[in-house]
Amino acid sequence: MSTPAAEHAPGLAPADGIAARARGLTKAYGSGETTVLALDSVDVDIVRGRFTAVMGPSGSGKSTLMHCLAGLDTVSAGQVWLGNTEITGLRERELTRLRRDRIGFMFQSFNLIPTLNALENITLPMNIAGRDPDRAWLDQVIDTLGLRDRLKHRPAQLSGGQQQRVACARALVSRPELIFADEPTGNLDSRAGLEVLGFLREAVDDLGQTVVMVTHDPGAAAHSDLVLFLADGRIVDEMARPTAEAVLERMRLFTGAGSRFSGDGAED
Amino acid sequence: MLKATLRSFLAHKGRLLLSALAVVLSVAFVAGSLIFSDTLGRTFDRLFASTAADVTVRPQEGLDEAVPSGTTATLPAALAGRLSGVEGVAAAHVDAEVENLTVVDDENEPVSPTTGAPTIGTNWHPTERSPVELTSGHAPDGPGQALLDSETADRTGVRIGDSLTVVAPPGSFRVEVVGIVTFTTTNPGAALLFLDTPTAQTKLLGDAKAATGISVEAAAGVSDDLLKRRVADALGPDAYEYRTAAEQAESDVEQLGGFLDVIKYVMLGFAGIAVLVGVFLIVNTFSMLIAQRTRELGLLRALGADRRQVRRSVLTEALLLGVVGSTLGLAAGIGLAAGLIGLMNAIGMNISSAEMVIGWATPVAAYVVGIGVTFVAAYLPARRAAAVSPMAALTDAEVAGVGRPLRLRAVVGGVVGAAGAAALAGCAAATETASAASLLGLGVVLTLVATVIAGPLLVRPVIRVLGAAFPALFGPVGRMSQRNALRNPRRTGATAAALMVGLALVGGMSVASASMTESFDRQIDRTLGADFIVQNGGFMPFPREITDRVRETPGAGLVVRSRFAPLAVRLPDGDRVETTAAAYDPRLDEVASISYARGDTAGALAAGHLAMDADFAREHGVRLGSTLPVEFQGGRTAELTVGALTDMESAEGFGARGGLFLGLETLQRYAPGGQESALYVNAAPGTGDDELRANLERTLDPYPQVQVRDIADYKKLVHDQISVLLYLVYALLGLAIVIAVLGVVNTLALSVVERTREIGLLRAIGLSRRQLRRMIRLESVVIAVFGAVLGLALGLVWGVCIQQVLALQGMTAFAVPWGTVVAVVIGSAVVGVVAALLPALRASRMNVLAAIAHE
Repeated sequence: MSTPAAEHAPGLAPADGIAARARGLTKAYGSGETTVLALDSVDVDIVRGRFTAVMGPSGSGKSTLMHCLAGLDTVSAGQVWLGNTEITGLRERELTRLRRDRIGFMFQSFNLIPTLNALENITLPMNIAGRDPDRAWLDQVIDTLGLRDRLKHRPAQLSGGQQQRVACARALVSRPELIFADEPTGNLDSRAGLEVLGFLREAVDDLGQTVVMVTHDPGAAAHSDLVLFLADGRIVDEMARPTAEAVLERMRLFTGAGSRFSGDGAED
Repeated sequence: MLKATLRSFLAHKGRLLLSALAVVLSVAFVAGSLIFSDTLGRTFDRLFASTAADVTVRPQEGLDEAVPSGTTATLPAALAGRLSGVEGVAAAHVDAEVENLTVVDDENEPVSPTTGAPTIGTNWHPTERSPVELTSGHAPDGPGQALLDSETADRTGVRIGDSLTVVAPPGSFRVEVVGIVTFTTTNPGAALLFLDTPTAQTKLLGDAKAATGISVEAAAGVSDDLLKRRVADALGPDAYEYRTAAEQAESDVEQLGGFLDVIKYVMLGFAGIAVLVGVFLIVNTFSMLIAQRTRELGLLRALGADRRQVRRSVLTEALLLGVVGSTLGLAAGIGLAAGLIGLMNAIGMNISSAEMVIGWATPVAAYVVGIGVTFVAAYLPARRAAAVSPMAALTDAEVAGVGRPLRLRAVVGGVVGAAGAAALAGCAAATETASAASLLGLGVVLTLVATVIAGPLLVRPVIRVLGAAFPALFGPVGRMSQRNALRNPRRTGATAAALMVGLALVGGMSVASASMTESFDRQIDRTLGADFIVQNGGFMPFPREITDRVRETPGAGLVVRSRFAPLAVRLPDGDRVETTAAAYDPRLDEVASISYARGDTAGALAAGHLAMDADFAREHGVRLGSTLPVEFQGGRTAELTVGALTDMESAEGFGARGGLFLGLETLQRYAPGGQESALYVNAAPGTGDDELRANLERTLDPYPQVQVRDIADYKKLVHDQISVLLYLVYALLGLAIVIAVLGVVNTLALSVVERTREIGLLRAIGLSRRQLRRMIRLESVVIAVFGAVLGLALGLVWGVCIQQVLALQGMTAFAVPWGTVVAVVIGSAVVGVVAALLPALRASRMNVLAAIAHE
């Protein structure tokens, strides 16, 4: 069970080494009797320099959690920090700037602007901000992701895997505090998927990035350092150094027994 | 299938709204102009039919007056007495009517209408057919008494007992208003002044024994036709013109018809523009709707709907749109007609909106235009919809239509464009005005069609250039907006086409008018040497009294009079040419410089002589010294000798074919009674221009119908005349722009919907709302400027060709109004910004998460 938000003093600065943190994070849809709790008072710490995977059956609230942590969605109750900044309560314009400067995104599909070529897509967030990318770092990211000979191509001329690599490069190039990846391999064949996961892993291990990945694929989750299991809007379990088998096994417990587990999820 | 169509129509009603608006606008103008002209026609029919006498006798109408000469044709008043004795005549009375009076009050302020409507002075002869009745005061009796119509009296504050000065052709005279008459029927806008019959004859016609016509009333049981025959027999069938009441009404309506037709054609011009531009909008909307529904249509096909059913479904939607749009347009047209009638009332006509006539043709035309336009515009998109394969339902295809090759367009556009260019080249090379004008028309239409067809092909190169600075100026936002505009050239091309059509017209017309203005300026500079010109702003003739006053003005030296007169000349090659000739006083050389091929001014203006254009003379076999039989207004003929041949650039303008002119004394001898159209005045030695001007202005104070102008003022007057044409073009442009803005809004709104996910992504990775709005705004600007550039380029080409046609008329100067061109380009950018307001707002309000999740 997650801890009630009331136990935490408001405005508490997260300990060093925490990239993002949520306390009592609640997201409700609708009102009155038809209220649906997508997130039910979730407490979570995303440790800096780690690869964290968020898993759960569909409707468990894993995408909502990511959206709230990334400042894409408003919360109904609770607090969210990115680094030392409390983002709950920020205004739209500040949130936009925060996403632009401090967060990188990868989505399942439609990650790239079709009218811009690969290089323009990669540097888009920095260009929007009116900053010049760090050339050396840009070159390193491009070479690491093997995109050197694809820079002038439009998204339509790239394979699915290449498109996700461009999205990955875009997320990396501004050196954000946190990269959110929403099902980044969901639309890829297994080989291309593995490649993308490998890059995310490298970003964490070699470049010191912090990555949060939402997925429903145990194989993908196995590449992470820590898997958070979500069910019915709560974090019900976590697993460090996961393997595909162990994750699959854990996930099986949700199917057909969801209601039982939602009651007695492991303690933090 | 019908149910699916209806559902789809209702589901997309928001997106069809703008298309419907285009249909509504076109139909409204068509219906409005028909209703308006029907109403006016009926009103005047009734007025004239009820006021015409059973039979009217008039002087024979000789020559058409292209330029008013100021003569009033008369017949002997004694004819009335002769006709009284004719069998079947109950009564015959004299009409004495003059249409170009000027009436001023004691402060020399004009009482005449300021709208250009005439002031009619006539004799008071109340019958049951009078359009007015005496409502206060008494009938005029004696030379100093007059009646005024109540509308003019109310407008100017004239009351019974006030005195007025009437400036009539024979001279000015003062009258006291002794009564007010009120219109019992529609007042067409004129001011009416009634005098008793002898006063009207002497003071208006200058001859106590003259009349402008005889009104004959039939005795009981005698038909108008029978009466007309008897009257004609009594006076001689060819001596005068005889008209029954019906014929008279018809001819009056015909006279007014010119004015009504102008209004009607202007309105139909608006309707035409609205239809033309509206078609683009509708084609674009349907194309986009179908592109968006590719999967849905594919599903329908997969479920077993055949191509014809799909096509019929789309066309049914168009039909519904047409019906709805036509119905609303018809209603809007009635409103428009009511507004125009209100406007007519405001400028002095008196038409009741309750008398609005909606003939059967109006709704028929409204629905034919509305449904026809929508149907035609939707036909191609419907065929494309039918071509959607069932596989489209299964694949996650990008929006259809983007990548289709434009080869067919290139070929068709190229062929039509080449034909158009050839026609324009032919026009430029032509030497005959008539053939040049028809080639011009053909070329204009063909090049317009070609540009519309090939527009999408030009999108890439032109927008690359136009938007080249965008990335540097506006960063990635600029780059994305430029690329977005390039994304679907077909769509961008069609959207810009609406603006292009309007601006091409404006470009062509403004080049033409600038060239005309420049030509006139040059010609005035070259030919006119007078210090001052006294004339009427509308080039109407004015009474001789004014000439006398000007001559008496202190400081006035030479005064050269100028008159216009219609005449017919029989030429050696057998042609009989009816034209307008000018007549001048002998010392013309001192106020004007005319270049002659043969002869000189003295020869041209000598008694019994005339001059003409050398080219015209050569064409018709006329030589210096030839004698030509000339027929004047009023029927007199003379043998005039050609005393000079001129070599002028613009000899033949304004209906003055042949550039004929002669001495004023010669004209006066054969066609007496004309009035001056202009006086050229030079300062007497020792008098400064400013002094003379002030003196002339003082002299002319009681004559508000004429003004003093120096050369600069005169140029301005000419410019103003040309500007009237331009204002009309600007009004058309305004309408085209309104519809073009609708088109851009439409395209952007649909693009925003299509790009929902992309916008969500951009917002997620940090594009601010303001940047997003700017991106859409810039795209809109680049589309609008693209349309403007294409339109202006086309317009300039047309302008060059129009100028070639004008050059054949002697207007050889070519000028491009660069100020207008720049203003139009800037204006189109503003249009882009305005059109982007709503779509940009909508995009920036989009919820980021919903946009990302958008399917």
